Amino acid sequence: MVFNESKRYYVQRRIDERMIATGSTSFASYFARLRSDAQGEVEQFVNAFTVNETYFYREEHQLQCMSADLLGERLASKGRGEALRIWSAPCSTGEEPYSLAIWLLENWPQVDAHDIEIVGSDIDTSALDAARSGVFGRRALMRLPPPLVDKYFEPLPDDRWRIVADLRNSVSFSPVNLVDGRETRTFGMFDVIFCRNVLIYFDEASRRIAAENLYENLAPGGFICLGHTESMSRISPLFEARRFDDAIVYQRPRESAGG
Amino acid sequence: MPLIRKDTAAGTPATSDRADPLAMLADAAPDVRWTGVRLLSGRADAVAALAAALSVETDARVREAIFTALAAAATRESCLALVPWLRSDDASLRTGALDALCATPPAAAASLAPMLLADHDPDVRLLSCEIVRGLPADEAQSLLCGLLDAETEANVCAAAVEVLAELGGREAAATLARCAERFAQDPYLAFAIKVARQRLDVASGDIGE
Repeated sequence: MVFNESKRYYVQRRIDERMIATGSTSFASYFARLRSDAQGEVEQFVNAFTVNETYFYREEHQLQCMSADLLGERLASKGRGEALRIWSAPCSTGEEPYSLAIWLLENWPQVDAHDIEIVGSDIDTSALDAARSGVFGRRALMRLPPPLVDKYFEPLPDDRWRIVADLRNSVSFSPVNLVDGRETRTFGMFDVIFCRNVLIYFDEASRRIAAENLYENLAPGGFICLGHTESMSRISPLFEARRFDDAIVYQRPRESAGG
Repeated sequence: MPLIRKDTAAGTPATSDRADPLAMLADAAPDVRWTGVRLLSGRADAVAALAAALSVETDARVREAIFTALAAAATRESCLALVPWLRSDDASLRTGALDALCATPPAAAASLAPMLLADHDPDVRLLSCEIVRGLPADEAQSLLCGLLDAETEANVCAAAVEVLAELGGREAAATLARCAERFAQDPYLAFAIKVARQRLDVASGDIGE
């Protein structure tokens, strides 16, 4: 693999990931680990550069948890006719929020009985543009069963697919900086937030601020799902860990009435 | 299709920004105080007010938000406002202050490290090794080696050794050896130093060089 200057950020991010994963507090100590291939670090390092992109139905067990447990519990707190609100932040190029939509349409028996609002947000505006276009390559669809691809996507030239217009028009996309409370506040409260694999890239102070912002954007009793290597317990004591059959998620306590 | 899309302001606003956040710090409702603290987060001019609020705050969530706000201010003054809580008898306050100092960007926290490592209270010196962990490796190593050469409490040495084992280089080996000699009667510290020296050998790249 060869990376030129234009890939500097990409490389830096992956080095940061490996440093966090190995508990290395300096590049020098991590580099020594890499040079000595301690605990197979070379392979892990290479994998970090090849398997780190979003795709449909990523960490599917959390989607299963959402439909099997989280939404049912949230419905008990909703008023009549009140929509369920789900936030995908960051949403990158749209795979996650569209996955949420498809998953619910396919797997949640109560999907037609309730209004569901799915919002996708990211700090990367070019990623948001891509998300709105709804065009994806083969790799992004690799975990989707072919019948779902046929049902929800239109084939395009050059091995690409475009998500059907009904779905493209059903998910809203908007920019957000998760560390800026003035921005996050404008989104209101959600029942479920998917905030996967982004907090690990923040410094500790920013991580705490983002966690408090996300807390503020969760309705009391609402849930937040993180990436499988992440733990909110290490970031902030505001949330309670909840273990369900399919996933461990974090919940804003019900007793708080305000933000 | 049950999916709905709203392109205008979404949902119920989580909070209002129109109230005076400084006044909100004294509100009877914890939720209002929490919001006030968050509105003041990162503001250097609010450090004194936040520090005063921390001294009387009893709600755990609001306290946590104050710690975050002080960490985000990232000034010497915000760090100094956190230091007294390292001595608190309340473990949650000690931990909150320590976590906030560790979360404070190194440029702000670094100036306090020598003072904290020389504190008269061994518990403060011990906790401060965690703060030093977040500094650049060379700076952290220098501070911790200085501590080890003068420290009289074995527990404080153990805390420093643990951090050095992670970020130190071969330059720390001599200091560790001297510490091991001075505390030869302490089996745990002797073991910890032995492990640290082994890790330093690996981190220094002796393997494969």
